[in-house]
Amino acid sequence: MSHFIQHICQLLYDSQFGTYIRESDYAFSIIESIHVLAITLLVGTIALLDLRMLGVVLRGVSVTRIARTVFPLTWSGFAIMFVSGFLLFWAEAAKNYGNPAFRIKLVLLLLVGLNPLIFHTTIYQRVHEWELLELSPWRARAAAIASLSLWSGIIVAGRMIAYF
Amino acid sequence: MLSWFVALSHSWLSQYMQQSRWGFAVVEAVHLLGLAVLGGVVLIVDLRLLGLILKTESARNIAHGLSRTLLASLAIMLLTGIALTSEEALKCYHSPAFRWKMLLLAAALLFYFTFHRAALLRTDKYQANLWSRLAGAVSLTLWLGVGVAGRAIGLL
Repeated sequence: MSHFIQHICQLLYDSQFGTYIRESDYAFSIIESIHVLAITLLVGTIALLDLRMLGVVLRGVSVTRIARTVFPLTWSGFAIMFVSGFLLFWAEAAKNYGNPAFRIKLVLLLLVGLNPLIFHTTIYQRVHEWELLELSPWRARAAAIASLSLWSGIIVAGRMIAYF
Repeated sequence: MLSWFVALSHSWLSQYMQQSRWGFAVVEAVHLLGLAVLGGVVLIVDLRLLGLILKTESARNIAHGLSRTLLASLAIMLLTGIALTSEEALKCYHSPAFRWKMLLLAAALLFYFTFHRAALLRTDKYQANLWSRLAGAVSLTLWLGVGVAGRAIGLL
Protein backbone atom coordinates (compact mmCIF):
# COMPACT_ATOMS: atom_id res chain seq x y z
CA MET A 1 0.00 0.00 0.00
CA SER A 2 2.72 2.45 1.02
CA HIS A 3 4.67 1.53 -2.12
CA PHE A 4 1.58 2.22 -4.18
CA ILE A 5 1.13 5.69 -2.59
CA GLN A 6 4.82 6.43 -3.00
CA HIS A 7 4.54 5.42 -6.65
CA ILE A 8 1.57 7.78 -7.19
CA CYS A 9 3.54 10.60 -5.52
CA GLN A 10 6.48 9.96 -7.84
CA LEU A 11 4.16 9.96 -10.89
CA LEU A 12 2.69 13.32 -9.85
CA TYR A 13 6.16 14.69 -9.14
CA ASP A 14 7.48 13.60 -12.53
CA SER A 15 4.41 14.72 -14.48
CA GLN A 16 4.73 17.63 -16.86
CA PHE A 17 2.40 19.83 -14.81
CA GLY A 18 4.08 19.02 -11.48
CA THR A 19 7.47 19.74 -12.98
CA TYR A 20 6.18 23.00 -14.44
CA ILE A 21 4.97 24.28 -11.05
CA ARG A 22 8.21 23.22 -9.37
CA GLU A 23 10.56 24.70 -11.93
CA SER A 24 8.69 27.86 -12.90
CA ASP A 25 10.11 31.07 -11.44
CA TYR A 26 6.84 32.23 -9.92
CA ALA A 27 4.16 29.51 -10.08
CA PHE A 28 5.00 27.80 -6.79
CA SER A 29 5.40 31.08 -4.87
CA ILE A 30 2.16 32.51 -6.22
CA ILE A 31 0.16 29.38 -5.40
CA GLU A 32 1.79 29.31 -1.96
CA SER A 33 0.82 32.96 -1.34
CA ILE A 34 -2.80 32.21 -2.26
CA HIS A 35 -2.68 29.19 0.04
CA VAL A 36 -1.43 31.39 2.91
CA LEU A 37 -3.97 34.17 2.29
CA ALA A 38 -6.80 31.63 2.29
CA ILE A 39 -5.83 30.77 5.88
CA THR A 40 -7.59 33.97 6.82
CA LEU A 41 -10.79 32.89 5.06
CA LEU A 42 -10.81 29.37 6.44
CA VAL A 43 -9.12 29.43 9.84
CA GLY A 44 -9.76 33.11 10.64
CA THR A 45 -13.51 32.77 10.21
CA ILE A 46 -13.95 29.38 11.88
CA ALA A 47 -11.80 30.62 14.79
CA LEU A 48 -14.28 33.45 15.37
CA LEU A 49 -17.17 30.96 15.68
CA ASP A 50 -15.02 28.90 18.07
CA LEU A 51 -14.16 31.99 20.12
CA ARG A 52 -17.85 32.96 20.20
CA MET A 53 -18.80 29.56 21.63
CA LEU A 54 -16.05 29.94 24.22
CA GLY A 55 -17.57 33.29 25.22
CA VAL A 56 -14.51 35.31 24.15
CA VAL A 57 -15.99 37.43 21.33
CA LEU A 58 -19.40 38.81 20.29
CA ARG A 59 -21.23 37.37 23.29
CA GLY A 60 -24.36 39.37 22.40
CA VAL A 61 -24.76 37.79 18.96
CA SER A 62 -26.37 34.35 18.71
CA VAL A 63 -24.17 31.39 17.79
CA THR A 64 -26.37 30.50 14.80
CA ARG A 65 -26.10 34.02 13.37
CA ILE A 66 -22.32 33.88 13.55
CA ALA A 67 -22.34 30.34 12.15
CA ARG A 68 -24.57 31.31 9.19
CA THR A 69 -22.35 34.33 8.53
CA VAL A 70 -19.01 32.57 8.60
CA PHE A 71 -19.87 29.23 6.94
CA PRO A 72 -19.90 30.55 3.33
CA LEU A 73 -16.55 32.28 3.98
CA THR A 74 -15.13 29.21 5.70
CA TRP A 75 -16.19 26.91 2.86
CA SER A 76 -14.84 29.30 0.21
CA GLY A 77 -11.57 29.33 2.13
CA PHE A 78 -11.63 25.54 2.30
CA ALA A 79 -12.11 25.24 -1.47
CA ILE A 80 -9.23 27.65 -2.18
CA MET A 81 -6.95 25.94 0.35
CA PHE A 82 -7.78 22.49 -0.98
CA VAL A 83 -7.15 23.35 -4.62
CA SER A 84 -4.00 25.43 -3.99
CA GLY A 85 -2.75 22.86 -1.46
CA PHE A 86 -3.23 20.05 -3.96
CA LEU A 87 -1.29 21.99 -6.60
CA LEU A 88 1.59 22.54 -4.15
CA PHE A 89 1.52 18.81 -3.32
CA TRP A 90 1.48 17.95 -7.02
CA ALA A 91 4.74 19.85 -7.49
CA GLU A 92 6.48 18.37 -4.45
CA ALA A 93 4.69 15.03 -4.02
CA ALA A 94 7.76 12.79 -4.02
CA LYS A 95 9.50 15.03 -1.46
CA ASN A 96 6.36 15.42 0.67
CA TYR A 97 5.74 11.68 0.86
CA GLY A 98 8.43 11.07 3.47
CA ASN A 99 8.26 14.51 5.10
CA PRO A 100 7.28 14.09 8.81
CA ALA A 101 5.66 17.56 8.99
CA PHE A 102 3.55 16.74 5.93
CA ARG A 103 2.44 13.41 7.43
CA ILE A 104 1.50 15.07 10.71
CA LYS A 105 -0.44 17.71 8.78
CA LEU A 106 -2.45 15.03 6.94
CA VAL A 107 -3.35 13.27 10.20
CA LEU A 108 -4.41 16.58 11.77
CA LEU A 109 -6.52 17.39 8.67
CA LEU A 110 -8.30 14.07 9.04
CA LEU A 111 -9.01 14.80 12.71
CA VAL A 112 -10.18 18.35 12.03
CA GLY A 113 -12.64 16.88 9.50
CA LEU A 114 -14.10 14.53 12.10
CA ASN A 115 -14.66 17.38 14.54
CA PRO A 116 -17.50 19.17 12.68
CA LEU A 117 -19.06 15.79 11.79
CA ILE A 118 -19.39 14.99 15.49
CA PHE A 119 -20.32 18.58 16.39
CA HIS A 120 -23.11 18.90 13.81
CA THR A 121 -24.67 15.51 14.54
CA THR A 122 -24.70 16.00 18.32
CA ILE A 123 -24.75 19.24 20.32
CA TYR A 124 -25.40 21.51 17.31
CA GLN A 125 -28.69 19.64 16.67
CA ARG A 126 -30.07 21.37 19.77
CA VAL A 127 -28.37 24.71 19.07
CA HIS A 128 -31.69 26.57 19.45
CA GLU A 129 -31.67 25.73 23.14
CA TRP A 130 -28.28 27.38 23.71
CA GLU A 131 -27.55 29.75 20.80
CA LEU A 132 -28.16 32.85 22.94
CA LEU A 133 -26.06 31.76 25.94
CA GLU A 134 -22.93 33.88 26.37
CA LEU A 135 -20.99 30.69 27.11
CA SER A 136 -21.97 27.63 25.07
CA PRO A 137 -22.46 24.17 26.71
CA TRP A 138 -19.31 22.20 27.46
CA ARG A 139 -19.69 19.89 24.45
CA ALA A 140 -19.70 22.89 22.13
CA ARG A 141 -16.76 24.42 24.02
CA ALA A 142 -14.88 21.14 23.71
CA ALA A 143 -15.51 21.14 19.94
CA ALA A 144 -14.32 24.77 19.79
CA ILE A 145 -11.11 24.00 21.68
CA ALA A 146 -10.51 20.94 19.47
CA SER A 147 -11.05 23.05 16.35
CA LEU A 148 -8.71 25.85 17.50
CA SER A 149 -5.98 23.40 18.55
CA LEU A 150 -6.20 21.27 15.41
CA TRP A 151 -6.21 24.22 13.01
CA SER A 152 -3.26 25.79 14.85
CA GLY A 153 -1.45 22.46 14.60
CA ILE A 154 -2.22 22.30 10.87
CA ILE A 155 -0.81 25.79 10.26
CA VAL A 156 2.33 25.05 12.28
CA ALA A 157 2.86 21.62 10.66
CA GLY A 158 2.20 23.16 7.24
CA ARG A 159 4.86 25.80 7.78
CA MET A 160 7.30 23.15 9.04
CA ILE A 161 7.07 21.17 5.76
CA ALA A 162 9.61 23.58 4.30
CA TYR A 163 12.09 22.88 7.12
CA PHE A 164 12.41 19.12 6.62
CA MET B 1 16.05 54.85 10.75
CA LEU B 2 19.01 52.81 9.53
CA SER B 3 20.58 52.95 13.01
CA TRP B 4 17.54 51.12 14.46
CA PHE B 5 18.02 48.28 12.02
CA VAL B 6 21.77 48.19 12.75
CA ALA B 7 20.99 48.02 16.48
CA LEU B 8 18.42 45.27 15.84
CA SER B 9 20.91 43.27 13.81
CA HIS B 10 23.39 43.40 16.73
CA SER B 11 20.83 42.49 19.39
CA TRP B 12 20.67 39.23 21.38
CA LEU B 13 17.35 38.59 19.63
CA SER B 14 19.06 38.61 16.24
CA GLN B 15 21.81 36.33 17.57
CA TYR B 16 19.22 33.90 18.88
CA MET B 17 17.13 33.91 15.70
CA GLN B 18 20.20 33.26 13.56
CA GLN B 19 21.72 30.51 15.69
CA SER B 20 18.72 28.61 16.99
CA ARG B 21 17.75 25.64 14.87
CA TRP B 22 14.01 26.00 15.32
CA GLY B 23 13.72 29.61 16.53
CA PHE B 24 12.92 31.17 13.17
CA ALA B 25 10.53 28.39 12.12
CA VAL B 26 8.54 28.52 15.35
CA VAL B 27 8.29 32.33 15.40
CA GLU B 28 7.26 32.27 11.74
CA ALA B 29 4.52 29.73 12.52
CA VAL B 30 3.20 31.90 15.38
CA HIS B 31 3.27 34.91 13.01
CA LEU B 32 1.01 32.87 10.67
CA LEU B 33 -1.37 31.97 13.52
CA GLY B 34 -1.64 35.69 14.31
CA LEU B 35 -2.35 36.33 10.63
CA ALA B 36 -5.23 33.85 10.62
CA VAL B 37 -6.98 35.55 13.55
CA LEU B 38 -6.20 39.14 12.53
CA GLY B 39 -7.30 38.42 8.95
CA GLY B 40 -10.52 36.82 10.17
CA VAL B 41 -11.43 39.80 12.35
CA VAL B 42 -10.56 42.39 9.68
CA LEU B 43 -12.58 40.43 7.12
CA ILE B 44 -15.71 40.20 9.28
CA VAL B 45 -15.65 43.89 10.31
CA ASP B 46 -14.98 45.12 6.76
CA LEU B 47 -17.60 42.87 5.15
CA ARG B 48 -20.07 44.31 7.67
CA LEU B 49 -19.04 47.85 6.67
CA LEU B 50 -19.58 46.85 3.05
CA GLY B 51 -23.08 45.77 4.06
CA LEU B 52 -22.57 42.15 2.98
CA ILE B 53 -22.92 40.25 6.26
CA LEU B 54 -24.64 40.53 9.68
CA LYS B 55 -26.75 43.36 8.32
CA THR B 56 -29.13 43.45 11.30
CA GLU B 57 -26.33 43.71 13.85
CA SER B 58 -24.81 47.09 14.59
CA ALA B 59 -21.40 47.47 12.91
CA ARG B 60 -20.16 49.26 16.01
CA ASN B 61 -21.13 46.34 18.27
CA ILE B 62 -19.43 43.85 15.98
CA ALA B 63 -16.24 45.89 15.85
CA HIS B 64 -16.38 46.41 19.61
CA GLY B 65 -16.97 42.70 20.24
CA LEU B 66 -13.92 41.82 18.14
CA SER B 67 -11.61 44.70 19.12
CA ARG B 68 -9.73 42.87 21.89
CA THR B 69 -9.12 39.90 19.61
CA LEU B 70 -7.91 42.26 16.91
CA LEU B 71 -5.50 44.06 19.24
CA ALA B 72 -4.23 40.78 20.72
CA SER B 73 -3.54 39.25 17.29
CA LEU B 74 -1.97 42.52 16.11
CA ALA B 75 0.34 42.49 19.15
CA ILE B 76 1.36 38.88 18.40
CA MET B 77 2.06 39.78 14.77
CA LEU B 78 4.12 42.86 15.69
CA LEU B 79 6.23 41.05 18.31
CA THR B 80 6.88 37.99 16.14
CA GLY B 81 7.41 40.33 13.18
CA ILE B 82 10.19 42.20 15.02
CA ALA B 83 11.85 38.87 15.87
CA LEU B 84 11.64 37.71 12.23
CA THR B 85 13.03 41.06 11.02
CA SER B 86 15.93 40.86 13.48
CA GLU B 87 17.25 37.72 11.80
CA GLU B 88 18.11 39.69 8.66
CA ALA B 89 17.58 43.27 9.79
CA LEU B 90 19.87 44.97 7.27
CA LYS B 91 18.60 42.88 4.38
CA CYS B 92 15.05 43.86 5.35
CA TYR B 93 16.05 47.53 5.56
CA HIS B 94 17.15 47.44 1.94
CA SER B 95 14.33 45.18 0.70
CA PRO B 96 11.70 47.00 -1.43
CA ALA B 97 9.06 44.43 -0.39
CA PHE B 98 9.81 45.06 3.30
CA ARG B 99 9.59 48.84 2.82
CA TRP B 100 6.27 48.48 1.00
CA LYS B 101 4.98 46.25 3.79
CA MET B 102 5.90 48.76 6.51
CA LEU B 103 4.41 51.62 4.51
CA LEU B 104 1.15 49.72 3.94
CA LEU B 105 1.07 48.60 7.58
CA ALA B 106 1.46 52.19 8.77
CA ALA B 107 -1.29 53.26 6.35
CA ALA B 108 -3.60 50.40 7.42
CA LEU B 109 -3.14 51.21 11.13
CA LEU B 110 -3.57 54.96 10.61
CA PHE B 111 -6.68 54.33 8.54
CA TYR B 112 -8.04 51.90 11.11
CA PHE B 113 -7.82 54.35 14.01
CA THR B 114 -9.20 57.34 12.06
CA PHE B 115 -11.58 57.02 9.09
CA HIS B 116 -12.40 53.37 9.73
CA ARG B 117 -13.39 54.14 13.32
CA ALA B 118 -15.44 57.15 12.23
CA ALA B 119 -17.24 55.02 9.62
CA LEU B 120 -18.02 52.38 12.26
CA LEU B 121 -19.55 54.98 14.56
CA ARG B 122 -21.75 56.28 11.74
CA THR B 123 -22.84 52.88 10.50
CA ASP B 124 -24.16 52.11 13.97
CA LYS B 125 -27.23 54.15 13.20
CA TYR B 126 -27.43 53.71 9.47
CA GLN B 127 -27.25 50.85 7.03
CA ALA B 128 -24.14 50.55 4.90
CA ASN B 129 -23.64 53.76 2.96
CA LEU B 130 -21.05 55.16 0.60
CA TRP B 131 -18.88 56.25 3.53
CA SER B 132 -18.87 52.84 5.24
CA ARG B 133 -18.45 50.89 2.00
CA LEU B 134 -15.46 53.05 1.11
CA ALA B 135 -13.93 52.51 4.56
CA GLY B 136 -14.44 48.73 4.31
CA ALA B 137 -13.01 48.53 0.79
CA VAL B 138 -9.95 50.69 1.58
CA SER B 139 -9.27 48.77 4.79
CA LEU B 140 -9.48 45.36 3.06
CA THR B 141 -7.20 46.59 0.25
CA LEU B 142 -4.60 47.97 2.65
CA TRP B 143 -4.49 44.82 4.80
CA LEU B 144 -4.34 42.60 1.72
CA GLY B 145 -1.46 44.75 0.51
CA VAL B 146 0.37 44.24 3.83
CA GLY B 147 -0.01 40.47 3.40
CA VAL B 148 1.08 40.38 -0.24
CA ALA B 149 4.10 42.63 0.40
CA GLY B 150 4.96 40.49 3.43
CA ARG B 151 4.90 37.33 1.35
CA ALA B 152 7.09 39.04 -1.23
CA ILE B 153 9.89 39.74 1.32
CA GLY B 154 11.06 36.16 1.11
CA LEU B 155 10.83 36.07 -2.69
CA LEU B 156 12.41 39.28 -3.98
